Amino acid sequence: MSKESSYGRKNLLISIVFAALIFFLSIKLDPYNQGQLAVALMMFIGILSIVLLTGASGQISLGQGALMAVGGFAAALSILNLGFSIWFAIIAAVLAALVAGLLLGIAAARLSGPYLAGTTLVIALAIPSLATRFDSVFAGDVGLNIDFGNPPGWLTSLMGEVGYEQWQLLATLPFAALALFFTANILSSRTGRSWRALRDHEIAASLAGVKISETKIFVFVISSGFAGLAGVLYGLRGIVGPSVYPISLSLMLLTGAVLGGIRSIIGALIGAILVVFLPDLIEWLMGFLSPSEQVANYLPAMISSLLLILTVVLNPGGIAAGLHHKKRRH
Amino acid sequence: MEKRNTFSPLTRRGMLAIVAGVAVSSLAITALPATAASDPGVSATEIVLGMQLPQSGAASPGYNKVDDAARAYFDYVNSKGGIYGRKVRLVVKDDQYKAGLTVSSASSLINKDKVFAFFGSIGTQTHISVIGDLNRRGIPDLFVNSGYSGFYTDPTLYPNTFGGLGTYVVESKIVGKYLKDTYPTKKIGILYQTDDFGRNALAGFTSPTSGLTFEAKKTAVNFIAGTQGSVGLASQLTALKANGVEIVIIAAVASATAIAVATAAQLGYKPEKWVVTSVGADATTFQTILGSKGITPAVSAGMLAGIISASHAPSPGEATDEYVTAFKKINDDFNKGPDKRWDNNVLQGMNIAYMATSALFGAGKNLTRKGLVSYIENNGSKIGSAALSPVTFSRTTHEAFNSFWIGAYDGATVLKPISGTRVLYTTDSGTGPVTVSNYVRPALPVDAISKGA
Repeated sequence: MSKESSYGRKNLLISIVFAALIFFLSIKLDPYNQGQLAVALMMFIGILSIVLLTGASGQISLGQGALMAVGGFAAALSILNLGFSIWFAIIAAVLAALVAGLLLGIAAARLSGPYLAGTTLVIALAIPSLATRFDSVFAGDVGLNIDFGNPPGWLTSLMGEVGYEQWQLLATLPFAALALFFTANILSSRTGRSWRALRDHEIAASLAGVKISETKIFVFVISSGFAGLAGVLYGLRGIVGPSVYPISLSLMLLTGAVLGGIRSIIGALIGAILVVFLPDLIEWLMGFLSPSEQVANYLPAMISSLLLILTVVLNPGGIAAGLHHKKRRH
Repeated sequence: MEKRNTFSPLTRRGMLAIVAGVAVSSLAITALPATAASDPGVSATEIVLGMQLPQSGAASPGYNKVDDAARAYFDYVNSKGGIYGRKVRLVVKDDQYKAGLTVSSASSLINKDKVFAFFGSIGTQTHISVIGDLNRRGIPDLFVNSGYSGFYTDPTLYPNTFGGLGTYVVESKIVGKYLKDTYPTKKIGILYQTDDFGRNALAGFTSPTSGLTFEAKKTAVNFIAGTQGSVGLASQLTALKANGVEIVIIAAVASATAIAVATAAQLGYKPEKWVVTSVGADATTFQTILGSKGITPAVSAGMLAGIISASHAPSPGEATDEYVTAFKKINDDFNKGPDKRWDNNVLQGMNIAYMATSALFGAGKNLTRKGLVSYIENNGSKIGSAALSPVTFSRTTHEAFNSFWIGAYDGATVLKPISGTRVLYTTDSGTGPVTVSNYVRPALPVDAISKGA
């Protein structure tokens, strides 16, 4: 008990430091990179959902983008039809994603390995199409316009002029810090240990008293809540629609998780920063080489695929595990 | 799979790593200087325009030529001294037709490239994701390559956004009325894609003005946009065949048109007439897609022959049209894109660049964002265009064109006026009637540059 509460205090401190650092960056960066950092934080939350699901409990999902879409659509519909403020809409989105996660979890508890991967992949493909099929509700290809709106008056009176990108970043920041705090806590708790037991050996975990199906469903529910939160924040950048949550979004989250380190919170942050800023970095480098349009457009995808292959072959624990390993030798 | 548990809840090391990570990333992305106080992207020597389109990915074929064509025209203008001495520079961002990327790349165009205006962006949903932000920031959003009427018909909603195509509703009202009048006893059916474009077109065909009626799943069949390649549209065409549809309207992109016509041939289904909306009737795309299925150009030209379509512009194959001739020459001389084959996409890209040049000249030497928008709203008819429809920008609508002519493809893939002489029909995106227009396009200036006067 005392050990867990000391973890809790430490995690709280770390989350506050994290928030303070990002806040500092939000003042230092130019608007474009403020916007990109906001996206990186959204991806961070999304990747945390994979860290919990795959990293901690060993269940594979290729469909986190679909759960992001659930969050996005729930928020958009509650804002546009029920007149919710974006803050209530974010809560509604997380609740909707939790329900979707429950349904998915009930199915997932019966599946494992490639069957689970296949099922979640199908869901990632299907959910955007549903938006087109039932277009009277989901507005089909046109999508639903929502956004962060203007920064509140107290913020501008406190900080002076707050740009649109900076506001996106500042509005996302508390949620990212909360997600960090929550994930760190859950992983260092009894719940987290039971998830890891499940991942490492189902039968052994079951003998030790872990309820396999219930735990699997629970993990799915929690992970979906994170994905839903990431999804609504991503949608609040301007639009919720099928082309906002394509299958490539699910794969991008997974890429970030693997590159950064699928079992690590720091890995999730590194992975998120990598997948968001890598295209910019490549574009900057390409400025010196000026390759043809066709090469330049496909280069980011090619390089991140290459990094993914190298990571899986050479350093399966991702960058975070690499850091960890080196430190331990000292 | 059995690995030692390396899962670390956050430790002091972890915290260090976060600090280091954030610090490194902040160094790596060192800030640019802050935005200038007023109207970025215009200097004594340069005007910077930004464009978003799918240059890669499934939606890119055909469309990915528009930017190169527009840039070719701007390069031509620059070679003639630019606009009041300012050279036009077009910065292009690939959004792969994914709205999430459109938001980021718009921010990049605004904050890094500091564009003066957006220009010629392609794609309805992708553009919706940024249209609110662009208008809030007061950035001109010129000649969007989308026929979605929702962008343009209410300028109080999007005061800075102007169209670059005729709307889908206008076109289908005109074509629908033509079909109703010409084939009153025939059974007319429709194949449409279930997105804004397909639905917008369906609304036009079934409007009281054109008066066509369809029966769902019997004479009106649909498919989810983008799936035409995998589903092959066989079940949809089988339904039309089984219900004895004699005239088939296709309201879909060009790749779907090609697949529908080829599949019908396989099924032994020979409707008397195919009718294709203008964005789905690009001959080059049609032939390229059928070519990839092993159908020779000669055969695909034969399949295209007789298909009815409509256009607001001259057909790219009209060798006697002075605008076509001039643009084609500029394309040959200045287009540095990977595929500069002359077609509808290139003509459209050239024409919106021609219109933008005209508007930028018209807005005067002292170029401001407000001044440009106000000029376009108040001087729509002075803006040069290769289109056979008048340019209809005004304070009450930001639609580009209100008129279409109806044609049929000949054996050499050229769209020719259907009754020999060209008749231009005009209507609006609302409930107005279809009437014959006697608009005559102004002659091409000697240097092929309209000064908007």
